[in-house]
Parts: sequence; structure tokens; C-alpha cells
Amino acid sequence: MNNKIKAAALLLMTLPVAFSCTEKVTIKVGATYTRLVVDGHIATDLTAYDITLTKTADYFYNAPSPKVVNATVEISDGSNTYLLQETSPGNSGIYRTDPSFYGVPGKTYTLMVHLPEAIAGITDYSSSCELVHVARLDSTKAVFHSDFGQKGAWEIRCYAKDPGNEVNYYMFNLYRNGKLLTDSIQKLRVSDDQLFNGSYFDGGVMYLRGDNPDETLTVGDTITLVMSGITKEYNNFIQQCQAAGFNIPFFTGPPANIKGNISNEAIGFFAAYSNSRASAIVK
Amino acid sequence: MKHLIIVVLLYVLIPWFSVSGETPETMIKYTINGRVTDKSNGEGLIGASLYIKELNTGTTSDNYGRYSITIPEGQYTLVITYVGFLPIKKEVSLHADTRLTFEMEPRSELLKEIEVTSERQDKNIMAPEMGTFKMNIETIEKIPALMGEVDVIKAIQLLPGVQSVSEGSSGFSVRGGAPDQNLILLDDAPVYNASHLLGFFSVFNNDAIKDVKLYKGDIPANYGGRLSSVLDIHMNEGNDKEYEVNGGIGIISSRLTIEGPIVKDKASFIVSGRRTYADLFLGLSSDKALRNNQLYFYDFNAKVNYEINDNNHVYLSGYFGRDVFKNKFAGFKWGNETATLRWTHLFTKKIFANFTFLYSYYLYNLGTPDGNTTSFVWNSGLQDIGVKGDISYYLNTNNTIRFGIVSTHHSFNPGDAHGTGSSTYFQDYLVPKNYALESAVYLCNEQKIGNSLTVNYGLRFSLFQSLGPTTVYHYNENHVETDSTLYKSWTIYKTYSGLEPRLSAVYVLSERSSVKASYTRTLQYLQLAQNSTAGTPLDFWFPASPNVYPQVGDQVSAGYFRNFKKNTIETSVELYYKWMNDVIDFKDHAQLLLNKQLEGELRVGKAWSYGAEFLVRLNEKRLSGWISYTYSRTFRNIPEINNGNTYPAPYDKPNNIAIVANYQLLKRLDLSANWVYATGMAVTFPTGRAIIGGKVIPIYSDRNAYRYQDYHRLDLSVTWSGKKKPGKKFNWDLNFSVYNVYARHNTWTINFSQDNLDPNITIAERTYLFGVIPSLTFNFHF
Repeated sequence: MNNKIKAAALLLMTLPVAFSCTEKVTIKVGATYTRLVVDGHIATDLTAYDITLTKTADYFYNAPSPKVVNATVEISDGSNTYLLQETSPGNSGIYRTDPSFYGVPGKTYTLMVHLPEAIAGITDYSSSCELVHVARLDSTKAVFHSDFGQKGAWEIRCYAKDPGNEVNYYMFNLYRNGKLLTDSIQKLRVSDDQLFNGSYFDGGVMYLRGDNPDETLTVGDTITLVMSGITKEYNNFIQQCQAAGFNIPFFTGPPANIKGNISNEAIGFFAAYSNSRASAIVK
Repeated sequence: MKHLIIVVLLYVLIPWFSVSGETPETMIKYTINGRVTDKSNGEGLIGASLYIKELNTGTTSDNYGRYSITIPEGQYTLVITYVGFLPIKKEVSLHADTRLTFEMEPRSELLKEIEVTSERQDKNIMAPEMGTFKMNIETIEKIPALMGEVDVIKAIQLLPGVQSVSEGSSGFSVRGGAPDQNLILLDDAPVYNASHLLGFFSVFNNDAIKDVKLYKGDIPANYGGRLSSVLDIHMNEGNDKEYEVNGGIGIISSRLTIEGPIVKDKASFIVSGRRTYADLFLGLSSDKALRNNQLYFYDFNAKVNYEINDNNHVYLSGYFGRDVFKNKFAGFKWGNETATLRWTHLFTKKIFANFTFLYSYYLYNLGTPDGNTTSFVWNSGLQDIGVKGDISYYLNTNNTIRFGIVSTHHSFNPGDAHGTGSSTYFQDYLVPKNYALESAVYLCNEQKIGNSLTVNYGLRFSLFQSLGPTTVYHYNENHVETDSTLYKSWTIYKTYSGLEPRLSAVYVLSERSSVKASYTRTLQYLQLAQNSTAGTPLDFWFPASPNVYPQVGDQVSAGYFRNFKKNTIETSVELYYKWMNDVIDFKDHAQLLLNKQLEGELRVGKAWSYGAEFLVRLNEKRLSGWISYTYSRTFRNIPEINNGNTYPAPYDKPNNIAIVANYQLLKRLDLSANWVYATGMAVTFPTGRAIIGGKVIPIYSDRNAYRYQDYHRLDLSVTWSGKKKPGKKFNWDLNFSVYNVYARHNTWTINFSQDNLDPNITIAERTYLFGVIPSLTFNFHF
């Protein structure tokens, strides 16, 4: 909930910046060596999961990241190992589990990647993530605030009891009529339980702008809120990704590389988490 | 080792206790003492020169205008000079201890036409202090100001070796030091956050200020607690002869100051207030969301003083300021309070004492309106209560001894947050409060050795004791908390102490030139948890502790000073080398706010800086100002940051130029201009990228490996004054100023983002804060 305070502070402090001006500039920066990029997760739902492998590029590369194809990608839960298949062999760089796959809370999952061609001299990479359990999401609700912003905003509320004996980290995703609204890392919401540990949480976790047709709700829509239990490392990773590239001299420290969980200096995160969901019809 | 040798050499080269005095000891000596005051309002003049022609010696008045000099009996001519005042010449036939008060007359517009040759304006040559700069308020008032808000700190930033930390910011870096390494004193009370409106203005109201002095190299032994500089600001005392009103109406704020006698020639008061109305402009904004914001600050300065008799004088002064920034969803308030109660006492004609009680409080709170389940409030603050005793002993013309003791109790509240709603689910989150006692004793002597050499040597011993009640966290070698210890009230759980030698010397080569050298060691026990470049009111101070060592700084400097054309042109070159140990930086992605384990986010290492400062200062009758050029570098090496490689500090701006000029075009028309240039700030840019979850994730260069474009800016102002006639009470002037005349788009920040249409395209976007900003201020006085 530190984030909430931060957000309030940020809201206030960016105000003078509202009077400032911005302009596009051309900046010449040097090049850096290529690294492997891993992006993917598994969760407790019974479905196929994708792991995407790409390569880093120069900052102003301005094209999709180069794919990493023909790799051997496996996930192990300590007792079983699952081989992932490239969705379009030798072409897509996306590696998929069997649709019968599901994660079990309490287990630690390990991702193993073997490349046919080395990147920065390295062919083998691995990553481990514990799949932490999540509290039950009792219900959700969308509340309209006409006085927020230009055309009002929808507050998505979450009703759940936070376990008191541990530090919990949450991630929230939202579906509108079955379509995922939080379709990029920037739109996800994460939070720790620092300020409500052990309490019954009944506050807003997400705001949807009324003036943005891509996210606003209409009466009769069905929303589904997915609350996931994530690790501290993944929580930090998402926060760092969301802040990346954004620099307000008042508020942000020196830029720093994002800390993922892949070995051998590869970039990215292999996440494992548990989901709990609730739906509601917008009234 | 290298550093140690330099220090040892300095001490060996300068004789510590040479026998002094060229006058036979058998001669009878008498003391002349008293005050130098401003005739127009009775206030003491700080640093006025008293020169005895026949002996080619002299002294200067202290912070209260007092002086004392002991010389053999005889017939003398005393010359008293002070910038902006008519010199006084007085024949004295000294056959007994004498008390003389000099009332100096300000050089008014009418008197400006009278040719005045000041005989002793070469203080910059003669005084052993170096790396100091004194500014009078009139100079500051003539500098074109952002939005017409005349500002002491903005003026300071135009001096060689001093840089603004960010566009428009009142944070400053002295000789490569961090902004929290500056000790800012208002009537001796420390000011912990000297900024208003997120740093765009400083807390110092020019109308309430009498004198400003910046020590950037040679810090006298009576100051301590910060590595880089001391900014010593004294408030006006109030006119003890007649009532006076000063005021100003500007585009963003108005000011009013009233002063006058309580008991004529004995006691006086001054009250000064300021209020901005910047938020009125928000109402004009096209953005509806902005229109409902409140954004303002106000502050008050007040002082009363009472001269009980020739030997006793008491002063009580205070400052109170608040910034308010709020809208419907959140509110933010911060401010400083200071109070100083001082009794100055003359034990004898040669021994002056000051006893001071100090109070300072900085606080902020941030919260959301009550009544929601998610309402919360977050408070943070720092309070100081201190006592101080300072004694000056004017032993003889060759020795002035100063000694004193100071002790301050600090209370830190790094942050507590709790819910305020009726059915809140928020739990309190308290970062443990902590306490400390910071004390020091010092002794120093300013000694003249022969006719050419003056040495000021001193030693300060500082002591820092961490006090309970608090919780101290323990960390392993990976900075991860392992356990914690709870300490009871008033338990001293950690003590640090250190000796801080101070040494400076001037060798006068001729009447017009001198060489100076100094060595200063300083210890710093408090620091600011600030990771951003600009700094915010949310930054809070935290003390040395079992996990945080005090920072130690050493500086050597040397300079050559030369005046030309009857002292109307002062020039100087100063070189310095400064090295600092146990300086603090923060780990990558550090979490500073509301973090119980803040100390786990710190990384400690070394920093050093060096530079050369060139200054030409002109003080002609119609044209005044200065040109300064500084070459300076500043680096840090912190093992766990930037892979252990040395990196430039954020304040590393190698080339720096400031040109400040004021020209009196007509009797009633003044033109002012300043131009500043600085190498662009050192920054970290992305050199590579990865795409994760649809977002471009930057891969960064080494820390501060790139730079923003160079910074430069021209400001102009015109001041038109009303006709001044003797006996006419009402005076006015109208100031029109333009900030950033040629609309330079100076980089405040560069953000990297993805193109909206094609997210594979990455773009860099510069944010600049100010275009051309004109402003108009009307000032009046009666």
C-alpha cells in the first residue's frame, strides 16, 4: 500500500510539471552487447502457458525484438519435467506447455533454456520461482466516480481477507466481457500488504478512465478481477518495469537495470503464481 | 596517504605558536570597543572594517556590530568602512579604555554623486578567510529573479564553485558536495529544507534578511556538522529609531515588512510576511483537473531586540513557513519553524560572549481527505533543540581567540502512516523514531605574525550520541535485515566523535595582493535520504547509527587575490582538492520512503572533487557585478554501485560560467543582467532494450556515463525608481524582469517512452520547465 501513498505524492508533485513543455529529441547513445530475454509465467489455472524468448537490441532499434528460435525449453516442479514446444517450430520463438498443465501452490518451478546458438557466449540459462498461494477473492465491484478526471473514472474494488501471519504480494488483472484489459505489464496492478496486513481489504485496486474507450465500462458489462499471489521478487520486477524510462527529477532515483530472475545475465522474469477470481455485473 | 602528507605539510609550514607583537610589552595599552551601527535604523553592521592608520592594523565588527581592539596609548586616526556606507574618519587620542560607537550613514542616491574614495575596501586581500563570499542584500535585489521573487539562494548559485542542482531549484551543490552537505543557518538555527514550492523558491524572504555569508572552503571552527559549506544568514533586527514599512507586490506573491522602535534607541521589532498566490493561475488552466488545485506558501519572520545596557543585549527571532498543495484527492503540507533566543554579553571590554537557545522543526504531512475507507495520513519530521555559548576574546591586536560549546538534541520521525477513515483497513506503519545528541567544543585563534602573515588556526571536537528509545535493525553483509534491538529512553546506544582541525592563512604580498591557503576537516552526522536530483519536501534526514558511519571530509585550498584600480576590481584564483569518506549513495531501485529498513538501502564509499575558481568582481560607481569561471570535477567510488567503478557525481559539471552585471543607466534607472553556463548534468541513458510484457525495458549505460545538453540562460531586469528627495518618506521602485530571455530549452529531464502508434519505436522526450518568463514587481518603502 506504499504505492498508494506514493501515487498520491506523485499526483501532487507532478502538478508543476503540468506547466512544463516537452519535445522529442534525438539522442546518440552507444551500443551494448546482446543478451537473452525471457518473458513468461505459469499459474494455477489449467491451461497452456507461453514462454517467449527474444534478444536485446540497441535502444533505438525500432523494430520487434529478434526472436530466439529452436531452443529447448523445459519446466520442472522438482519431481516432473515438462518439455515446451515452439508454437511454430524454428519460427515463433514462443514455447508452449501442454494445455493440461497447471501449477500447484507451494511448489518451486524451474525453467531451463538451452540455446542452439550461444548469446554472449552462453547457451544454458535457468530460473526458479516459488508458486505462492493466494487468499480467496470474495467479490469485486465497479464504482463510478463522476468527479475523477475529465469524464469520471471507474474504481474496481476488491473484497478479500489478507492473511496476517506473512507478508503477501498481490497482482491484479481485469477482464471486461471476457477480454483482458490489463494486456501489458504497464497496466497490471501490484501491491504488498504492508498497510493492511491481516485486515479485511475492501478498497479500490484499479481505476479505469471514463474518457478512454479501451478501458471504460458501461452498465451491464461483466468484469472479472483476477487476484494473484506473487513473490516479492516478481512484485519488484513489475514495479521496476513500470517505472522504467520514466524520470521525474523530484521523484526518481538514478536509472538502474531491472532485476529479473534469469541466470547468466539474461533479462526478464519467469513467474509462477496462484489465481483467485471474482466477477460482477456493472450496475 | 597522499592526503595526510598535504595536511602535515600545511601544519609544519605554518608556525603554530610564534611569539607575537612587535610593540614593546612595557608600553601601556588601552582597549577601544563599541559597536558599528547603521545610522538610519540603529542595526549593528556585520563585518565593518576598523583600520588604525598609524599602526597599519585593524579589526572587523562581529555579527552584532561589536568590535574590540587593544593598542598602545597614543594619537590615532581610525577609519571605519563598510560597503554601501560613507566611511568615517575619527581622530582618537587614547589615554584610557574608550568606548566608541560609530553610526554609519548609508550612501544614498544623492550622496552617490559625491566623490567618495573608500580607503579600506581591501578586506578580500587582508582577511585570512578564503572560499567565502559575502553578499549584501542590495546586490541580491538587483539580480534578475525567476518570477520576480528575489532569492538569496538563487544569488548564491551564481558564485564560483556553487551550482544549482536542477533547473529552478533552490538546492545547491558547493564544490561538488551534495545538497545535504550544506549547513544553512537562519540566525544560527539550522534550516533543514530551505525550499518553497518544490524548490523553486527558497524560504528566505529578502526583506527580512540583513546579511548572507557563504563559507565554501575554509569553514571556521565555530561551525560544524556538514562537509561542504555553511550558509550563514542573519535576519534584520528592526529599526530602533523610526517606523518603517517595506513591501512588494509581484505576480506570484506579495510581501510586507513593518519595523520600528519599541523603546527608542533601545529596543525594536521587525515583522515580515509573504504569501504567494500562484494557484490563482491554476484557475486559468484549460485542464479542468488542474483548476481545483490549491498551491501556495506563506512565511513570517519576526525579531525583537532589546539593548539592556552597553554590555547586554537580547534578541529573539523566529521563522514560520508553510507550503500547501492540495486538490480533491490528496493534500500535502510542509514547512519549517525556527526560533533563536540570544543574549550577548560583554564580560570585559575584550571578552564578548553570546549565549543562544535554538529551536528548529521541519515537518511534512501527506494525506487524502477523511471519510473514505482508503483515507490515510503520513507524517514525517525533524526537531532540534539546542544551546550554544560562544566567546570571543580580543587579546591584543595580534590575537583574537574564540571558543565555545554547543549541544543539540535531535528528534527524528522518519515517517509514520496510518488510516484516518471511519472504517479504515489501514494499519499503522511506523518507521521507528530515533533521537540523538550532537555536541561540540571548539577553540581557535586568529593571529597576526609580523606585518604580512595572519593565521587562523583552530580545533573542533564533535561528539554524536544516538539515544533511545528506538529500534535498531541489524543487517548481514548483503544488507538484509537479520534481527533488531530495542533500546529504552535515553540509552546511549552508539557514540561517534572526532577532531576537526581548521587552519587558514593569508600572506599579504603587497597592499593589493595576497596569497591564502587553508585546510579544513569536517564531520557530518546527519544526512538526507534523497535519491533524486531535484530533491523534494518528502526527503527526510536520518542520523549516524550503528549501521551508518559519520561522513568525513577534508579540503585543502590555496588562492591568489589581487585588487586593481583602488580596489574597485577584485580578482582571485582559488584551487581546491576535497576528499570525503563514508559518503552515502543508495542501491539500485532503493526504497527510501516509509521503509523501516532504510539503512539496508545505503551503500557507502568515497568521493572526491577538485577545481579551480576564477573570479573578477567589479565595483565601479555605476557598473558592478562579477564574472566567474569554475573548472571542477567530482567523482564517487562506491564498491556496490556501478560495479565498483568510479562514476561522476550528479553535481559534476566541469565548466561553469556566471556573469552578473548591474549598470546604473540613469539616476533612476538600473539595468541588470546575468548569464549562466554549465556543462550538462551527468546522467545514465539506456543503450540497449528488451521487450517484456509489451513494454520496452531499457538496459542502461554505466552510471552517469552521458550528459544532458549544456545549460545556459540569460536573464535581464530593469528597475525604475521613484524620485528620491531628502525628507521624502515614500519611495518606490518598479522592477521588470525576464527570465530565460532567449528561450533556451534547458533540459530538466529526459524520458524514454514508446511511440503510441508503433510501440516498437522508442523515443526520447525532453522536458523543460521554463520558456521566457516575464514578471513585474512593485516595491515600496515608507
